[in-house]
Formats: sequence, C-alpha cells, structure tokens
Amino acid sequence: MKLLSDRFALITGASQGLGRELALAYASEDVRGLALVARGKEPWQKLKSEIDKIAPATNVVIIQADLGSITDIERVAAITLEACGGRLDILVNNASTLGPVPMPYLLDYPVDDFQQVLNVNLVAPFLLIQNLLAAMIDHGGSIINVSSDAGRVGYPGWGAYGISKFGLEGLSQTWAAELAETPVRVNWVDPGNMNTAMHRDAEPNEDPTAWADPAAVTDIFVFLASEAGRHVRGQRLEAQSNWRNAITKG
Amino acid sequence: MLLPPGLPSIKNIRKTVKPKSVNRTTAFHLPSELNADRPPERRGLARDRVRLLVLDRNTGQVTHTRFDRITEFLDPGDLLVFNSSRTLPATLVGTVRHLPWAVEVRLAELLPDGTWLGLLVPSPQKAENVVTKGLILEFAQDFRCEVLERDQRIPRLWKLRFSKSGTEFLDSVYRIGQPVRYRYLSAPWRLSYYQNVYALQPGAAEMPSAGRAFTWRLLLQLRSRGVESASITLHAGLSSYLDGELDRQHLAAEEEYWISEEAAAKIRGAKNSGRRIVGVGTTVVRALESIAAESGGEVRACHQYTQLRITADYRLQIVNGLLTGLHEPEASHLDLLAAFVPPPTIYATYSEAIQQRYLWHEFGDLNLIL
Repeated sequence: MKLLSDRFALITGASQGLGRELALAYASEDVRGLALVARGKEPWQKLKSEIDKIAPATNVVIIQADLGSITDIERVAAITLEACGGRLDILVNNASTLGPVPMPYLLDYPVDDFQQVLNVNLVAPFLLIQNLLAAMIDHGGSIINVSSDAGRVGYPGWGAYGISKFGLEGLSQTWAAELAETPVRVNWVDPGNMNTAMHRDAEPNEDPTAWADPAAVTDIFVFLASEAGRHVRGQRLEAQSNWRNAITKG
Repeated sequence: MLLPPGLPSIKNIRKTVKPKSVNRTTAFHLPSELNADRPPERRGLARDRVRLLVLDRNTGQVTHTRFDRITEFLDPGDLLVFNSSRTLPATLVGTVRHLPWAVEVRLAELLPDGTWLGLLVPSPQKAENVVTKGLILEFAQDFRCEVLERDQRIPRLWKLRFSKSGTEFLDSVYRIGQPVRYRYLSAPWRLSYYQNVYALQPGAAEMPSAGRAFTWRLLLQLRSRGVESASITLHAGLSSYLDGELDRQHLAAEEEYWISEEAAAKIRGAKNSGRRIVGVGTTVVRALESIAAESGGEVRACHQYTQLRITADYRLQIVNGLLTGLHEPEASHLDLLAAFVPPPTIYATYSEAIQQRYLWHEFGDLNLIL
C-alpha cells in the first residue's frame, strides 16, 4: 500500500516544471486517478507514457484548458468530477503564468496582461476550489496552492505575478478559515527557487543551476496529500526549508 | 453518465413502467411578470434569500418566509436528499453541410447504448422537414452527430449518435454548448448560474433547480444543527419539448439515476427510525419512489432508468417532505405535488403564491411541503 493509493488528484499546470514532477510523484505513490490540466497540447504523450510505466493502474485524464477562461474552468471541473466519480481527494493549484516577459514594471504593465495574470493565478484557484468542493467535503480532501516568495515581498519588476501570489496567500487563508470545521484541508506551499522554464524566463540573467530541481521538492506535496498530513491545515510551508519542523501542531 | 465506482452494473434498465392516466390537478394563469428572468444574485439578492412558501401537508397552512430560514422548519435527524447531477451545457448548434440551415440540438438523455436522445430545433423553423434519418449535424471540425431514428414515445426527440464518447464527448460539449434557456430570461446567463453549489457529475439537461438556493454557508449550518444529508444522482431531462400539445400531455420522460450504497443506507436508516425524509426536488422523489416501487418499499443502491409517473393517487413510500420550485400550469411536476397534498390545497396555495408575487422557474422562489 503506497501513500496515495485510492486517492484521486487534480493538478493544474501539469505538462512541465513542478506540475509535471508532481504528477510523476503522485503516480509513484499509486494515486487512483490523475486529472492533469495544462494549456498546451504537445508534451502530453511522453508524460502519459511515463505515468503508465510507473503506475499502470492509474486512470489519467488529460484536460487541455486555458485557466484564464471561466468556461474552460467549468469544463475542467465537469471532466474531473466525471473522471473521479464525484469523489476528489487532492487538488493542487499549481498553474501560474508570469505574464509578459521580460516582466514590465507596474509603471508600464498593460492592463489586459495584468488581468490575465490575475485570472490564471488567482481567480482560477478560487473557482476550481469552489467548483470541486462538493467532491471533497463529505470524505475530506487536501487542497494545496502553490505560492511564491513573491507573494510575501513586493519585488520591483515582479509585476502582476507577485501581486497574484499575494492574492493567493490571502485566498488560501480565507478558504482555510471558512473550511476549518470541515474535513477539507487547505495549505499553501512556497516551493522556493526551482530550475523551471518559467523561472528562467523570469530571471534570465541568473544562473539556473543554482536553483533546485523541481523533482527534488515534491515530498511536501506528497505528504500534504497523504494520510500522514491529515492534521496539517491552514498552513504556509516552504518546500526547501525544514518544513517538517515548521508544521504547527493543531 | 459513467458508472460511479462501487455501484452495481446496469442490468435490465429501461424497464417500461406504464404511465398512469393523466389527472389534471390544477389550472391557473401565471402572469408573465412572475417569471424569474434572472438569478437572484443578479436582482440584488443573496442566493439563499429567495422567498420560501412553507406548506403544511396536514393542515394546509401556509407560512411565508425567506429561504435561509429553512433551518427553522427542519429538525435534527431530518434527512435532506439532494440530487447532485451537474448541469450540462446541453444546447449545441449544428450546421448541415451545403445547406443554409442551423439545427439546435438540446441533449435530453444518454441511452444505455451510448447514443443520445435530443430535441432538434431547426432554424428557420419552417425548415423542419430538413430533419430526417441519416442527417449529419456538424458542431466543430472534429465533432458531429448522425440523426438516427425518431423516438417512439416523444416524437420531438430523435436518437443521435455522436462522433465522440466519454471524456472526449464531455470535453467537446463543454467547449461549444450553452445551457438550455427559455424565453422568459432577460439575458443569456452563463452555465455557472445553472449549477447547484453541491453539484457533482455532469449529465442533467436542465438544472435540478429546487436546490439552487442552498449556499455552503447554509448547508454547513444545517449540518452543525444535526440535519442530515444524502446525495443521489438523477440526470434530469428537458422540461419542455417546445411543443405546446406535447408538453400538455406531459409524458414522463425517462431519466437515468444512481443511488450509492452510502445514500441508500442513510435513507433506510432515517426510514427505519421514523425520521423525516425531505426530497430536494421532484427528481429526488422520482428516484427514491422508483426504487422503492421496484424493491418492495426498500431503498437500495442502484443504477437504473425510471419512467415512473407520480400523481394524486400515488402512495408515497419513502419521501415525507419536498422542497421544490413553483411549477407551470402544464408541468408534470405539479401532478407530483398532488401525491403530497390534495389538489384543492395546491390550487389554493398557488393562488396565494401568485397573489403574493412569488417568482417562478429555475431562478425563482421555493416551496417547502412538510
């Protein structure tokens, strides 16, 4: 019996970077099913065959969607609810967009891009939780939102991305408070610096080899999704710190 | 649509239940200004603050209140049974190659062989004879359907075979479909307005709207007061075939439903200990009474189709109370109410609701019969 046997997970932003590694990590723990959402069409086949190799019994549903669109979110929710049979255990709001790169100063930020970033990084997690709560509230579930250090500190040049993560931190706290009396747990994780395409786009002048491999930060996401994490709720954790010690005992 | 895990497989579904004779319950005129033409949230009301008319089954006494005060009428131990079917964007517009017509398809029901029954509405309407067996309707580059044959019972419905099934079918329907909407609406409200907060698997042609006013806040409040809940799934069909004559006959559509072992156990538990079972919506009454009628008064886990018609002479075996919307003069739901209260009481109650300016339809006010 592995850590996530019998559990069904939805992961957004799953075709690359951290989301892809989370899909593989959950597959390694024998998750019952995976609904994987991403915008692009291309890299899916390879990921799917990797998952099939690791966990042949896992039901994998791939959903191509633009999380900036409300109708696409409806579609993601409907397909997920159908695939999981009305019982979802894990929701990882991982997808995010940087917006235009190089990231303009707020002084110069085009409003349409600003709104698009907020839609994908903030409104989409709000709507996915709202739409999928019914599938978690009776049996319990784990919601994990992927935040960022840029959601704590207003760095110049991090534009709408940082602001959307500030919003996500507040969203997570409020959801956690509203769901405090239910078996649904909400936590949020700052994964720290990772060597992903998105981070390389954000800071093209930095040395990406100094950053963590996203595959190395998945343990906290497995923990929070599993029975072991059942007492952890309403907490902000940092994946690259000694997070096991940081957990407040409830 | 697909079978949820842990349920028995489909066996002997589509049993034919002979409709009972049509018994006109009431007749009334609904003034057009009492059509709720927008969701309460878009007329300045919280979702759970629509009006609630509470009707006492025994005395016929009527109480006017607000929906979020439903807590005052439910006791700890009462069991609310919800229909968790999620509304599909069931209206698809197809084109016919080389012809200047569009045909609107309203999905009504998924059949066990994977085909659908759908209402076909050609545009312009005079092009009605364009709909024939063998017609191909195209919705998107890789998504089309073939028109098979006309339905025997409800001649406005046709059997359709789509080019996709399962997840791919859902994906395409959600990409292009719109919710089924009626003329009294003030704007084409988007699909999310047609979902109950507790909705799960997609499959309803129209929203099971009796539960629309529930908010999570209210559901959690009821839970903490000890009011219990269970969910079943009945994929509601179309409420109108856009044909006055056909709608007046109110043929009971055939609808697919599931009851999980967990829900069946809760319902049996309430029944055996004499606690009240309140159906949220006529679909729930239909599902619970259907399975009870088939299994000697006992509710058990199942996945079946029902054609059961519930009218004044029907003796309810499971459900004690009903939360429902206000129904149109022709609606077959109105006949179903007569199984709870005598027709003259329904008539008096509806007259009062009209006098008190209650709002009708999916975005309107509600009626609790206890």
